[in-house]
Amino acid sequence: MITLDDISLKDFTLDNLPRLKELRRLSFASKPEICIERARYITRYLRDQDAPGDAPEVRQAKKVNYFLQHKRPVFHDRNLLAGSTTSKALGAPLFPEFFALTLWPELDTVSTRAKNPQKLTADEARELNLEIFPFWMDNNVLELTRKRIGNAESLRLFESLVFFIAAKAGCISHAVPTYAPMLEHGLSGLIGRAAELAQAGDEGGGQADFYRAVQISLQGIMQYAEHLAEEAERRASVADDPEIRQELLDMAKVCRRVPAGPAATFREAVNAIWICQVGIHAENINMAMSPGRLDQLLYPYYKRDVEEGRLDIGGAIELIGCLWLKIADNVTMVPEASEEMFGGAGTVPAITLGGVNADGGDAVNDLTYIMLRVTELLAIRDPNVNARYDYEKNSEEYCRRVSEVIINTKAVPAFFNDRANITALQGQGESIEHARDYAVIGCVELASSGRDYPASSSIMLNLAAPLEMALFQGKRPITGEEQIGPKTPDPATLASFEQFWEVFKTQLDWLVEKAIELNEHMGRVHQQMMPSPLLSAFFEGPMDKGRDLIQGGSLYNSSGATHIAFADVVDSLNAIEQTVFVDKKYSFAELLQMVKNDFAGPAGEKMRLYLQNRTPKYGTENPIARKNARNIVRHLFDLYQSHTNYRGGPYRPAYWTMTNHAGLGGITGALPHGRKSGELFASGITPVSGAAPELTACLNAVAELGGECVPGCWALNIKYSPEGDTGQMSERFAQTIEAYFRAGGQQVQFNIMTYEMLQDAKKHPEKYPELMVRVSGYSAYFKDLNERMKDELITRTMYDLANGRAVPYPGEKGGK
Amino acid sequence: MPNLITQQAQKKLWEQWQKSFSSEVAEEFLQTLLTLMQFAFVVNPEYRQNIKYFEGRYQFCSKDGQVAIAAIFHDGRMEVMEKKINQANIAITFRDGKTLLNFILAPRQDILGSMLRHDVVTEGNLNYLYKFGFMAKQLQLMMPQLSQ
Repeated sequence: MITLDDISLKDFTLDNLPRLKELRRLSFASKPEICIERARYITRYLRDQDAPGDAPEVRQAKKVNYFLQHKRPVFHDRNLLAGSTTSKALGAPLFPEFFALTLWPELDTVSTRAKNPQKLTADEARELNLEIFPFWMDNNVLELTRKRIGNAESLRLFESLVFFIAAKAGCISHAVPTYAPMLEHGLSGLIGRAAELAQAGDEGGGQADFYRAVQISLQGIMQYAEHLAEEAERRASVADDPEIRQELLDMAKVCRRVPAGPAATFREAVNAIWICQVGIHAENINMAMSPGRLDQLLYPYYKRDVEEGRLDIGGAIELIGCLWLKIADNVTMVPEASEEMFGGAGTVPAITLGGVNADGGDAVNDLTYIMLRVTELLAIRDPNVNARYDYEKNSEEYCRRVSEVIINTKAVPAFFNDRANITALQGQGESIEHARDYAVIGCVELASSGRDYPASSSIMLNLAAPLEMALFQGKRPITGEEQIGPKTPDPATLASFEQFWEVFKTQLDWLVEKAIELNEHMGRVHQQMMPSPLLSAFFEGPMDKGRDLIQGGSLYNSSGATHIAFADVVDSLNAIEQTVFVDKKYSFAELLQMVKNDFAGPAGEKMRLYLQNRTPKYGTENPIARKNARNIVRHLFDLYQSHTNYRGGPYRPAYWTMTNHAGLGGITGALPHGRKSGELFASGITPVSGAAPELTACLNAVAELGGECVPGCWALNIKYSPEGDTGQMSERFAQTIEAYFRAGGQQVQFNIMTYEMLQDAKKHPEKYPELMVRVSGYSAYFKDLNERMKDELITRTMYDLANGRAVPYPGEKGGK
Repeated sequence: MPNLITQQAQKKLWEQWQKSFSSEVAEEFLQTLLTLMQFAFVVNPEYRQNIKYFEGRYQFCSKDGQVAIAAIFHDGRMEVMEKKINQANIAITFRDGKTLLNFILAPRQDILGSMLRHDVVTEGNLNYLYKFGFMAKQLQLMMPQLSQ
C-alpha cells in the first residue's frame, strides 16, 4: 500500500540532503585505486597456513576468514554505513584466483596510463611482483584447468578470444543472495543452525565439512563487523566535532549488534546487508553480486520504524542513498589491453524494484518510490537499478514514475516485464511463487532471489564465428587457413537456403559444444578451488542439503550462455536467403568473393549497398527476417537445454553483450548483410543501427522472440530523442512500454539523448563528466568508454517518440 | 676500469636496442632484448630479484619458422639459446618483429589486440608471458639510467 502523498518525492533534493550531495561529489571525484589487501592475505594464508588435507569448502572458508580477520576497517567519508569492499575510497580489488596477473606487465605504468588509470603505489607493485603474483603463476583457475585438460581444442578456442569467452576463468559471482534469514536471525542464528545440522552427522556427502565451512566463513564477517565497531569507537574518541563523534558512535553501536544479531531497525537492516555484501566480496569476485529486491526485503523494517516514529522519509532516503554510494565503492581491475577492447564496464551489482509478490499481487511500496527517488537524485553508474513491471497488477502511476526517472537520469532504471520473465523462469522448472520473486543479476539475467544459482555469465559466444565458418567451410578469415570447425560444403554448391541453414547449424552446434565442454571442465576446477560456503549461507538449499552452491546446493541450478552479434547474424542470413535464393540477384560464389574482399571496388560497393538497403532486416515486419530471428532463438534454446551442467541444471541462453559487441565487431571481417570489416556489431538483442526505421515494428519484432526461449533474458537498447515536456514524454514512454510488454518483450533499456549530444560528449568529455549511458545491460559513464563503444552509442538508431520513427543520422537525407 | 667496461657495454647494447625498435627483423629485436635482460640480471641486484626463485621456459618462434629462440630461467639465472625446446611454459608465435615489439614492449602494450588480430599466437601459460612483459618493461624503464 502506498502512503506517500507524492510518489515523486520532489521535495527531497540534493540541496536539502547535504550528506548525499557531498558523498556524491566525492564519489565522482574519487580516482580508482588498486587494492591488494585481499590478494595479500589470501596468499599469505595459503602459503603459510593452508591445510591441503581439508575439504575444499573448509580450505576456502579458512582462507576467507583469515582475510576478513585482517581486513582493515576504514571510514573514508561521512557515509552513515560502516564497511567497505576494499581499503581504498574507490578500490579495484585483486582476485589472483582469476585474472589478476594480467596486471603484471603494467605494474609500473597502470597509475599513469592514458585511459582510466588505476592508482598503485610502488610498494604495492613490488609486493605484487615479488610476493603475490609468483605464488599464483600455476595456480589460477585457468591454469588448473589447463593442468586438467592440457591445451585442449576448447581451451585453445577460448584463448584465441574470437570464438567464445569462458567466463569461469574470470569469475562465477553473478548471483542474488537472500538476506532475509540473516536479518531475522543474525549471523549467530545462521551459525547456530549450521552447528546443529553438523551435529546431526555426515551422510557421506561431506555435509559436516560444509556446515563447518559455513560457520568459519560467517564468523569472519562477524569479526570484521567487530573491527568496524572498534575503529569507529577509536575514531569517535579522537573526533573534535560532536556531530561526527556521535555518527561514529552510532555506527559502532550498529556494528556491535548486526549482522551478528537480528536487525531491529531499518538502519541496522541496511547496514547488516551492506556488511554481508562486503563479506560476500571477500569470497567472490566483485562482478554482478546483486543485492536483489531491496524494496521488498527492507520494507517491513522501514514500515515499523516509520510507524513507531524512529524514521521519516528523509531519513530513509539518506540511508538508501548511503547504501547506493557504498555499493558503488568498488570497480574491477582492468588491464590496459582489456580497457582498449572492452573497457568502461562497472561491477554491475543489480537492484530490482517493484513487480509482483509471491501471491501475484502488486509489490510496489513506499520504499520502491524512495529507491527510485534516490536513483534519480544520485544518477550514478552502480548499483544497476532495474524496475519490474506487471502491466496487469502494477499501477500506471508506477510505470509513469519509472519512465520519468529514466527521462531525468537519461538512462536508468531498465524496465523488466514480469509476465514474460515469470513465464521464462517457470519454463525452467521454477514454481510460480519462486518465479514471481525473481530479481535481476548483473546486466539483465534473471534468478529467483536466493534460490537460483545461475552462473549466468558462463559463456559469451560470438555468433559471427559460426556464420563465418559456415561461409568458409569451417575456417575464419581471422584465423587464416587453420581448419577450425567441421569442413562443411562450399556454400556455392548449395541448392537452397535450408541447406545453408543446416550448414550454419552444424558450425554453431559444434562451437556451442566446445564452449559447454570447457565450461564443464572449469566448473569442476571451481568445485575444488573456489567453493562458496559463505555465499551458500545466503541461499535456500545449501543449508538443507548440506551442500555448497558450487556442488549444486541451490534449489535451482543453471549455467548461462549469452550471444554476441545476434542481429548481424540474423540480417546476414536474411541477405543470403533473399539475395541468393529468392531474388537470385547474386550467386553465393559472387557474394562470398565480395565478402572475402570486404566489398572492395565499385562492384563491391554496389553489392554492399544493395545488401544493406534492399534485403530483409531484423527489427521490421519482414517475414523472412522474423523467421530467421525466431529460428536462431529456438534452435539455441533447444540446443542449450539439452545439456545438463556439473551442478545438475540446464544451460540457459541469453542475449546481452556488455561491450563485447564493439570489441569483437572491431576484429571481424565483412558479413553478407553489407557490414564491412571492423564495423561494430549491434548490442544485445537490438537490431542493427539504422535497420529498423519504425519503432513499433522494431519493438514487436523483438518482443515476439520473448518468453520461454530466452530464460537468461536480453538487453534491448532503445535511444529516444529528449522532449521539452517531460510529463507528456513520460506518458508516451509508459504507453510504449506497456504495448511492448503486452507483445511479449522481456526487457528494455533507454538512452535519452541525441546523436549530436553524444558526438559533442565524445569531442568534449570535460563538458559531460557525469553523463551516464546504457551500454548493453549495464550503465557506464560515457567518458570512460573506449572509442569503439562511444561510436556504437552515437550511431545507435534514435527514435522520436512523438511520431515513432527513426531520426535520420546527421548527414543522412532520410532515415535508414 | 671494470665499471667503465660495463658502462660501455651497456651503452652499446642500449643503442643496439634503440635501433632494433625500427627494425622489421624480429630476431634482431628479440636477441637484443634477451641479451640486455641477461646483462641487467648480472649487473643489477634489484632487477635480479625478479628471477631469484623463478623457473620458467619460454619459446619464441616466427610464423615463417625462420626464428626459434628459447629463454630459460633456472636457479636464479637466465639462459638464451637459438633452438626449439621441450616443455616450454609458454610458446609465442609472432607474425613479424613489429608485432612482437607491440606485443611485449610498446609503450601501450597491445597484448589483447595482438591476440585478437592473431598477429601473435600463444600456447601455454599466459602468466609467464605477463611476468616476462613486466621484466621487459622494467628493463625499458631502466635503460635511460644505464646509458648515462
